[in-house]
Amino acid sequence: MVPITAQFQAESALHPAARALLLEVFDQGWADPRKLHLESRRAAILLQEAKESIASDLGLSPSEIHFLGEISLGFHLGIVGLLQPDSRLVHSSIDRAEVLAIAAQFPASWEMTVSNSGVVALPELQPNDVLVWQSLNAETGIFPPLPSGLDAFSGRVFVDHTAYPVQASEIPTFSSALWDSSSWSGPKGVSIFALKTGVSGWRNPFPHLQQTVVPSGYSLPLVLASAVALRHWRSDEANNKTKIAELARRIRNFISENIPETDMIDEQLNVWSGIVSLSFLYVDAERLQSDLADEGFTVDSGSACTSANLEASHVLKAMGLLSQGNIRLRLHHHVTAIQIDAFLTVLKRLVEKQRQ
Amino acid sequence: MAGEIVDARGKRCPLPIIELAQALKMVDVGDSLTLLSDDPATVADLSAWARMTRNEVEQQRDFEFLVTKLN
Repeated sequence: MVPITAQFQAESALHPAARALLLEVFDQGWADPRKLHLESRRAAILLQEAKESIASDLGLSPSEIHFLGEISLGFHLGIVGLLQPDSRLVHSSIDRAEVLAIAAQFPASWEMTVSNSGVVALPELQPNDVLVWQSLNAETGIFPPLPSGLDAFSGRVFVDHTAYPVQASEIPTFSSALWDSSSWSGPKGVSIFALKTGVSGWRNPFPHLQQTVVPSGYSLPLVLASAVALRHWRSDEANNKTKIAELARRIRNFISENIPETDMIDEQLNVWSGIVSLSFLYVDAERLQSDLADEGFTVDSGSACTSANLEASHVLKAMGLLSQGNIRLRLHHHVTAIQIDAFLTVLKRLVEKQRQ
Repeated sequence: MAGEIVDARGKRCPLPIIELAQALKMVDVGDSLTLLSDDPATVADLSAWARMTRNEVEQQRDFEFLVTKLN
């Protein structure tokens, strides 16, 4: 095995602060917070503190927050819970596979097209429509611009924040929303589902007891670690924002000058610098990915040649972006200019080798 | 079918587009050739290729594309 020089995959190690806390809370947070023993009361306090901390970091009220283990449950609760028999499910072609799977089962769904600059074609909405909106697209790094018609929409909106901890207030018209703890270097297996206070017309799509939104099927220690990770991630993000943006620009400039026939998203768009998607014409992504790994660089890919079902990323296709030779870099907070420069030198050599 | 035929059926990405680009080198500007490809990635990638290389592509029927060299 080649030692990893730089890790550009979407996954990241647990935030060190969350990791340090985790062992401690496994000792303290084992009790059932709903019971009355001293340990349970202590656990209830810890849970409440975690809720308040996450609520303040995501711009929610603590009472709006529900913790989930399995993230796909959040899509069902959030979308199916809002649908009425006469609703139309309006979603975009670059939504996550979970959303597309729900839409495929629902008789009246409308898929919005997305231009290669990330503009979503919002149809004329009816009051009974349920709109699914993605705040950040994880494959391209684009924050799709909010259409002007959205403010006036009086119907129900589910917002998918799973790629980035966007504050709820950024899309104030939401009815339900979902976040993923692993997007802020928190533990996997914790997602945050929010139902906005006063939202009408939501009913639980799952069999349930006593009107609870979700049974308490989550791990309290993981929830606490997630709250701590989010608090630290936010300040890390603020402290490293300029550095990451500069490194993303460095990558783009190098590619523009040194690797022709590369498809990149227009940097004038509202793109998060933490995700850089590059597609090289005439390049086999699977080979590139494994050649890079041999040199110590791990990257993701949205190309057909790298996926089990031989289908290219539905996002790249829907936006008309080149899907062959695609690699995707996640610039984590600790990435350095030295790592980026080393990577770019190797990348140029490997792309040229394939194009010979 | 117009002009030369590049038969890339049964080949997976990025081979069809590589073979197309190689064959296109022998074609005069303004002339066309036909690409046959049944790789599911070809449809989307051909239009991205045409945009990036400033050439023209028109799908004739399933698995058959008319490619015109514009530069």
